[in-house]
Amino acid sequence: MTPLPPIPPSPPPPRFGRALLRLFAVQGSYNYERMLGLGVGVAEEPLLRGLPADGAASPYRAAVARGAHFFNAHPYLAGLAVGAAARAEHDGAPAELIERLRAALCGPLGSIGDRLIWAGWLPLLSGLTLAAISLGAGWTAVVVFLVVYNIGHVALRWWALRQGWTHGVRVALALHHPLLQRGAALAGPAMACAVGLALPLTAHYLASSFGAWPRAILATTAVLGFVAIRWLPGRVTGLRLGLGLAAVALVVGWVWL
Amino acid sequence: MTLEAFIALLGWGTLVGVDLVSLPQMMIARPLVAGTVAGAILGDLDAGLKIGVVFELLQYDILPVGAVRYPEYGPATVGAVATAHAAAGALGLGLGTVVGLVTGLVGGISMHLLRRINSRIVHAASATLESGDPRALMRLHVGGVLRDGIRAALVTGLGLALAWSVPPHINGVLSPRAVTLLAVAAVASALAAGAGGTIRLVGRGPNLAWFGAGLGGGVIVAVWLR
Repeated sequence: MTPLPPIPPSPPPPRFGRALLRLFAVQGSYNYERMLGLGVGVAEEPLLRGLPADGAASPYRAAVARGAHFFNAHPYLAGLAVGAAARAEHDGAPAELIERLRAALCGPLGSIGDRLIWAGWLPLLSGLTLAAISLGAGWTAVVVFLVVYNIGHVALRWWALRQGWTHGVRVALALHHPLLQRGAALAGPAMACAVGLALPLTAHYLASSFGAWPRAILATTAVLGFVAIRWLPGRVTGLRLGLGLAAVALVVGWVWL
Repeated sequence: MTLEAFIALLGWGTLVGVDLVSLPQMMIARPLVAGTVAGAILGDLDAGLKIGVVFELLQYDILPVGAVRYPEYGPATVGAVATAHAAAGALGLGLGTVVGLVTGLVGGISMHLLRRINSRIVHAASATLESGDPRALMRLHVGGVLRDGIRAALVTGLGLALAWSVPPHINGVLSPRAVTLLAVAAVASALAAGAGGTIRLVGRGPNLAWFGAGLGGGVIVAVWLR
């Protein structure tokens, strides 16, 4: 394996703000061929502008082309790859090394991001918001959700880009940062507790207008639906269950009631 | 629904649809947010919150990882709230959920189609991309965002068209018991999907105990609230 070159002193990132803004649209041209590749290339491009750009085979053009190759990761952490690849281009790392770096980052950035955000931060705040609405907080709970969620969201995107640029080809060091490791470890239990709390409260909130017999039917149907979703994963989904139960309700309501 | 409300909902649903994947993923696509704002536009916050809660629970059934295909509940929630507002009363919750589910299904299919179209366009432009032309790269990328905007507007338009056309045909046709049964079906499927999705996220490890603790606390508070 090729040993990693030492990291040169960190130059100030060129057009960092523009790259960060473009990262918010990193999935804008999401497709099955290059996944996030084009978005990553677009976000990386401002960071590459300091490279020599004369001619069709210039380092700048070669770097832009590489930046738009296949890439897939959690969108909030894609900045790590963007910053690291751009820094490596500026440091004169070989093209094969940069390609390998991008490929190596896909899995960890996807896995950590999914655990930290999709299975942690987002359902944690969503569960707390559901509970708050059920307890009468109303629309203010939704506003608080948006604000708090996006403080974490924007901070993570900024941090990821910054860390990527700082570490370059040694960006794997950033993956061991306490923010990611401890954050992912804490987010799971907190999410589980928050959503657990929210479920009965939400059931109480939604069933508040039902009488005794509808509540009994609701409890039975919800339990049976839950069992079906657990026992037949992939075949019974929330969407199919919802449409199926609605169809049954309409037929039963039409014929017998 | 007034023309002003229709235009506002169409605009809001489009923003919500684009937010889900393309730009900027600030979670206005979350049903709780999409529904509450749609309710505010219609002057019916209660319907917006209730439908938002129902679809937020359904959203737990989805883990948007990789290229997985899933229903799109953001614009669907906007259509569902508009339906609930038009149907009014007990019918709103059940009928709104049905319209939202149908719209969400179409939204999911439309996202898959868009990704396939994007793939073809990107494949056709491979040589240009390999030349490292930044303008061509930007053009392709912005084209993707615009296509997603059009897609989101069409899906929202479908939801709003259903909201406009379906309630008049259902109002007064169903008995009160049938209306209640439809609402029960909507809430039951949401609760089952919410619980099922959460258990899948939580897994069988130590988080299950935390889920149990939260669940116990929620039951105690819910009983106390009665």
